[in-house]
Amino acid sequence: MLEQNTSGSEVWEAESLILEQGKPYVVEAPSGRGKTSLLSVIYGIRTDYQGLVFLDERKLSSFSSKEWSKIRKNKLSFIFQGLELFDELTAMENIQLKNRISAYHSDERIMEMAHLLGIDPFLQRKAGILSFGQQQRVAIIRALCQPFNFLLADECFSHMDRENSLTAYQLIREECKAREAGLILTSLNKTGLPNIDHSLKL
Amino acid sequence: MKLLYQILWKDYSRVHLLGAFLGTLAGFVLLLAGIQFYMDLKAVLSENRDLLDPEYIVINKKVNIGNTLGLTGGGFSEEEIAEIKAQSFADQVAAFNSNEFPVQAYTEGEQVPNFITDLFFEAIPDEFIDVKSEDWRWDPEEGTIPVIIPQDYLNLYNFGFAPSQGLPQIPKGVLSMINFKIRLKGEGRGKYKDYNGRIVGFSNRVSSILVPIDFLEWANEKYGYFKKNDPSQIILVSKDPTDPSIIRFLEERGYDTIREKLKSSRMNIILKFVISFLVLVAAIIIGLAFLVFLLSLQLMISRSAEKIRRLNKLGFHYREISRPYILLLFLLMAGITGLSLLLTSLLAGKLHQTAEAWSLNISSSLHGIIYGTALSLILLITASNVAAILISTKKLCK
Repeated sequence: MLEQNTSGSEVWEAESLILEQGKPYVVEAPSGRGKTSLLSVIYGIRTDYQGLVFLDERKLSSFSSKEWSKIRKNKLSFIFQGLELFDELTAMENIQLKNRISAYHSDERIMEMAHLLGIDPFLQRKAGILSFGQQQRVAIIRALCQPFNFLLADECFSHMDRENSLTAYQLIREECKAREAGLILTSLNKTGLPNIDHSLKL
Repeated sequence: MKLLYQILWKDYSRVHLLGAFLGTLAGFVLLLAGIQFYMDLKAVLSENRDLLDPEYIVINKKVNIGNTLGLTGGGFSEEEIAEIKAQSFADQVAAFNSNEFPVQAYTEGEQVPNFITDLFFEAIPDEFIDVKSEDWRWDPEEGTIPVIIPQDYLNLYNFGFAPSQGLPQIPKGVLSMINFKIRLKGEGRGKYKDYNGRIVGFSNRVSSILVPIDFLEWANEKYGYFKKNDPSQIILVSKDPTDPSIIRFLEERGYDTIREKLKSSRMNIILKFVISFLVLVAAIIIGLAFLVFLLSLQLMISRSAEKIRRLNKLGFHYREISRPYILLLFLLMAGITGLSLLLTSLLAGKLHQTAEAWSLNISSSLHGIIYGTALSLILLITASNVAAILISTKKLCK
C-alpha cells in the first residue's frame, strides 16, 4: 500500500498479488495511480510502502546493496520512463554500458535490434542529441542487453508511433520468451497490444 | 569498465586536483628532504668526532667581578664536581690539581738569554692528556720535571711576539732541548730546591702548564703551605659531544668552556630546531593538501551524484562506481610518491655534490627511513580518502 490515494486499486488494495515469471502483464491506469511506483517498488528503488513484497520467496527489504546490484544485473531489467541514458555517451555506448557487464548480446545482434527499431543510423551519435522517441528505443535495447526473469517497462512506447510501438513490443516479447521471462508493462491507456493475457488495474 | 571511467571522470575539477596534487607534492618533498638532510648532517656531526677519541671538554667558572674582588671563589666545590660527575654526558671527570707553593723557572748558561719567571703548575690524570711522551714521568732520584705547555703559548711567541720584537722563532724540537731550572719554594726563607725542567710536549687540549700528577702530589706534600683552593678547572670526557644537554647544563650553571669544542653540540641544537620547524611546516602543508584532496574528490562525487544514482539503477554496485575515483586517487598518489622521492633524491644528490666540495661525507642516496615515511604517509592519506569515497558513493546508492 502506498501513501497516496489508491482506493479501488487491484494492486495496491489487494490482499496479495502474485506475478509469475514467464507471463506478460499490462498495468493500465491514468497518471498518478502509481504505475511507476509499482515498478520502482519491485525494482527496489522505492521502499516507502506498507506491506510485504517478495522476490523468489525473499523479502525485498532483506536484500543487501550487493544483492540488489546482482538482481539488477541478472534478474530484473527496467526500461525507465525517464530513460536514464547518459547524454555524453553515444547511443551505442549507452547500450554497451549494460551489455558489457554480461556480454549478453553480440555487437551483431545489437545492430540487428537497432535496425529493427530503425535507430541503427544514430548509434554513433551522442544520446543527448537524439529525439525522445529515438532515445526511448535506445533505452529499450539497453534493457534487453542483460539476463532477466522480469522486464519492467514503464510507458516505454509513449513517444513512438503505432507501427514502431508494435515492432518494439514484438522484439520485447521475443526477448522475454527467449529468457522465459515475465513482463510488466505500464501504459496510460488500453494499448491494444496483442497477446496480453493479464491486465491489472491500478 | 572503460565506459564507467568515461562517465565519472568527466566531472573532475582540474584546478582543484592539480592544486591538491602540487600542494601534497610540495609538502612531501619538504618533509622528506628535511628528514634526509637531518640524517645526513647528524651522521656528519657524529663522524667529525673520532669515535675512539671522545671529546675532552675543559670547563671553568665564568670569571666575574666578584672573583676579582675576592668575594667569591672561582673554583669548583666538591658538590659541584659531584654534580658534574652525575651528568649523563660526563663519562669521566677530573679536577685540576695545582701547586700549593711558589714556583719559579729560570734559565742559565751561555746559549740562551737569561730570564726568570714565576710559574704555576697544574696536573690531571695522564689519560686526559693528549701528549704521549716517554719523558712524561717523575722520578725523584733523577730530579727532572717534565712539563707540557699549551701549543697556543708557542704559537703566541712564534707568530706574535717573536716577529714583532725581532726575536728568532723557535721550533718545537729546539724548545724541547732547552734545559731550564725550576725552583720549588717551601715555606720559610732558604727552604727551596732547584730541579731541571724540560718541555716534553705541547697540548692542544689543555690550556695550562702541566706536570705529572705524581710529581705534583709529591711536591705539594713536600713544599706545599698554601691554603688548598677549590680546583678552578675541570676536565671531562664525553662520548657524545653532540649531545645538546652539555651546552644546556653549562649554560644553566654559568660554566664556561672553549666554545669551539662544543660546536657540534650547538649545531645539533640548531639543526634540531630548524628541522622541527621544517617538519612542522611540511606537516601543515600536507594536512591542508590532504583536506583539499578529500574535498576535491567529494566535490567530484557530488557533481556526479545524478550519474551515480543512474548507474546504481542500472545495476552497478557502489563499490564498482567507486573504482574510477579510487583509481584516480591511486594515480595521483603514485605520482606524488614517485615525484617526491625523485625530487628528494635530486636534492640529496645536489647536497652530496656540495658537501663533497667541503669534503664532508654525505650519502647521495636516500635513507631507508625516507621510503618508510613516504610509504606510511601515502598509505594513510590513500586509506582515508578511499574510505571517504566509499562512504559518499554508498550514500547515493540503494
